[in-house]
Amino acid sequence: MVMKRRTAIIAALSIAAAVVLILWKPTVLIYGLQAAGLYAAVAIPMGLVLGIVHIVNLAHGEFMMVAAYAAYFGCKALGMDPLLAIIPTAIVTAVFGWVIFQLTIRRALKAPELNQLILTFGLAIAFTQTINLIFTSQTYKIPLDYVSASMDIGDLTFGVWSFVFVAVAIIFAYGVKFFLTKTMTGKAAVAVGQNPRGAAIVGIDVYRTYGLVFALALALVGAMGALFLTKSAIFPSVGSPFTMKSFCLIAMAGIGNIPGILGASVLLGVSENFLRAFRPTRDWAEIVFFVLIIAVILARSLKGRKS
Amino acid sequence: MKRVMFALAVLALFVGSAYAQGTIKIGGIWTLADITGKQGSAAAQLAVEEINAAGGVLGKKLELIVVDDEGKADKAAAAVEKLATVDKVDVFVGGMASGAELGKIPAFKKYNKVVMSTGAAGGTVEKGLGPSPDSDFYFHLHPWDYNQGASYAEGWDAIQKKYPNIQIKKIFLAYEEGAFGKSSWDATKILFGSDNRYIVDGASFKSALLGGGDYTAVLEAAKAFKPDLFIWAGYDADALPLLEQSKAMKFSPGIYLGAPPGWPIDFGASKLSPNVMLYGMWSTAMNNNNPASAKFFKNYVAKYKEEPATYFAPLAYSAVYILAEGIKNAGTTETTALIKALEATKYVSPLGETITFKPSNIIKHQGITRQKILQWQNGEQQVIWPFEAATAAPVYPFPAWK
Repeated sequence: MVMKRRTAIIAALSIAAAVVLILWKPTVLIYGLQAAGLYAAVAIPMGLVLGIVHIVNLAHGEFMMVAAYAAYFGCKALGMDPLLAIIPTAIVTAVFGWVIFQLTIRRALKAPELNQLILTFGLAIAFTQTINLIFTSQTYKIPLDYVSASMDIGDLTFGVWSFVFVAVAIIFAYGVKFFLTKTMTGKAAVAVGQNPRGAAIVGIDVYRTYGLVFALALALVGAMGALFLTKSAIFPSVGSPFTMKSFCLIAMAGIGNIPGILGASVLLGVSENFLRAFRPTRDWAEIVFFVLIIAVILARSLKGRKS
Repeated sequence: MKRVMFALAVLALFVGSAYAQGTIKIGGIWTLADITGKQGSAAAQLAVEEINAAGGVLGKKLELIVVDDEGKADKAAAAVEKLATVDKVDVFVGGMASGAELGKIPAFKKYNKVVMSTGAAGGTVEKGLGPSPDSDFYFHLHPWDYNQGASYAEGWDAIQKKYPNIQIKKIFLAYEEGAFGKSSWDATKILFGSDNRYIVDGASFKSALLGGGDYTAVLEAAKAFKPDLFIWAGYDADALPLLEQSKAMKFSPGIYLGAPPGWPIDFGASKLSPNVMLYGMWSTAMNNNNPASAKFFKNYVAKYKEEPATYFAPLAYSAVYILAEGIKNAGTTETTALIKALEATKYVSPLGETITFKPSNIIKHQGITRQKILQWQNGEQQVIWPFEAATAAPVYPFPAWK
């Protein structure tokens, strides 16, 4: 009952804030949601790995970068649109992720967490430097007409392409939820995530499940790599900022709370764009990220102490 | 068997040393993972091979030994040490990022060999070098940041005078929030805003290169300001996404100008590139009216099977030719004599101007002082100003988005 009331209050406050923004600064809401979609779509696969495999993958953004390079050169070689490269890139990245998991991460799952962090950090550096050696730091971008699609509402003109990330984030969040709750493999993954020893006793192949979940997450990362190519130029270090942002969004949402990543991303995206909309606070937008994460973790700690 | 091996090793050492006596060694330091360093060092090597094919210098072959500074000051300093003590080079060439160049200065001063610098626009480097005579070994080819700023102001004045339909009153600078963008903003405010001839405004954005890539807020601010000249100072990673978002927001100022250090591969092929202006020093269009440029371009493409995509390539190529000419005229690589010979340099460069050395604000040997104003037309960069190097007339205004 208390939970329902709190949810209703949060929903009412969010709707009121959205209405105020639409009337006062509509671009804050528009661009805030677009940014939130990108953040969430990149963070959700990391949330899946963290929730089930219990490993902080510090090479998360670099996997996306490698996928984006694969998509770019695939598109160039075949004269293909990045949108058509989404599924092939997802498959290739899933296979790549499965191989990397079996060769490296699997062997560190029972090691102390610090070793796991060092391992994935090492992978991140290895990916970045390898791409740098092969392709140099030169940036690559495929020019696309449809990314400049716009909409006019009265005097307001804004780009609409980035809303695709909102749609993708929602599909990812509810697709992952569907996988975990409605499929046998997903249910096995949840069991492994909650109690690997218990899951092994009832006959679930724990390492195979970890590998599958990691490959599935990498497939989503691969799909995002191809889609990211439509919006951004790519270069060796393009993925690394997304690792930190994704991890912090997961921390804000709570580990294992995939739909919560959507809410945290909206809060971050709208807050950043709100500050950017005013001259005196324009340069503060980068700080909001840290302020939010400190506030959320502090609030959670206080709540835990009370209960 | 061991005796034979020993004898061969001694012979190899002897032959190597004899061969080394017949070469003039040039120590090249660039950031090789970057396109400017990759193509700059390649162009320098091309110049060395051309000079050697023509008989070398003072009867000796030139040898270029390249070390990667990775764009870091500590690595750059170590590169100077290695080249000076292990390779025992006679002169130095190269450079791009000011931060890395600052790291080299103490070692350059220690070894006091002639340096032909191809980069480092930052005024902090000039301050680090200090005044003559302590910095006389340093020949700086690239314009300093204040040279560049002054040349932009001069260029826009000249363009408005020659083309009365181009009128600039309001200038907006979108600058990346790092040191490069901030210094561009400070310079723009002083150059264009100090005498109230122009109304200047600006806003920062986080470059895609540093984890940003959302330009909507800065473009909203620019659109509200309604500038005649919109300049963005960021990196090549920002070029196309910024244009795509500008089009999505239907932001089309009279002049749309980008000032990144380099442009993305195939930018000219993009449908959004036509009529975007830029600052630079060289373009392939100059091959049509500059024989030195055409010769450099032809030989570079023949050797490397790719087009030079950055002006740091012809700049490094020029640096080697200037050094070779100086050594020839001095008859030696000894620093004092070589400095004197280089002071008389008059090199007809592929960059569209004859390079000579004059004092700048602090140092005694400054080469090029002007940047060029160019415009992307039909997939190629055309020189708009200086008029003596111009390859096309400007297209104005920047067409409204369709």
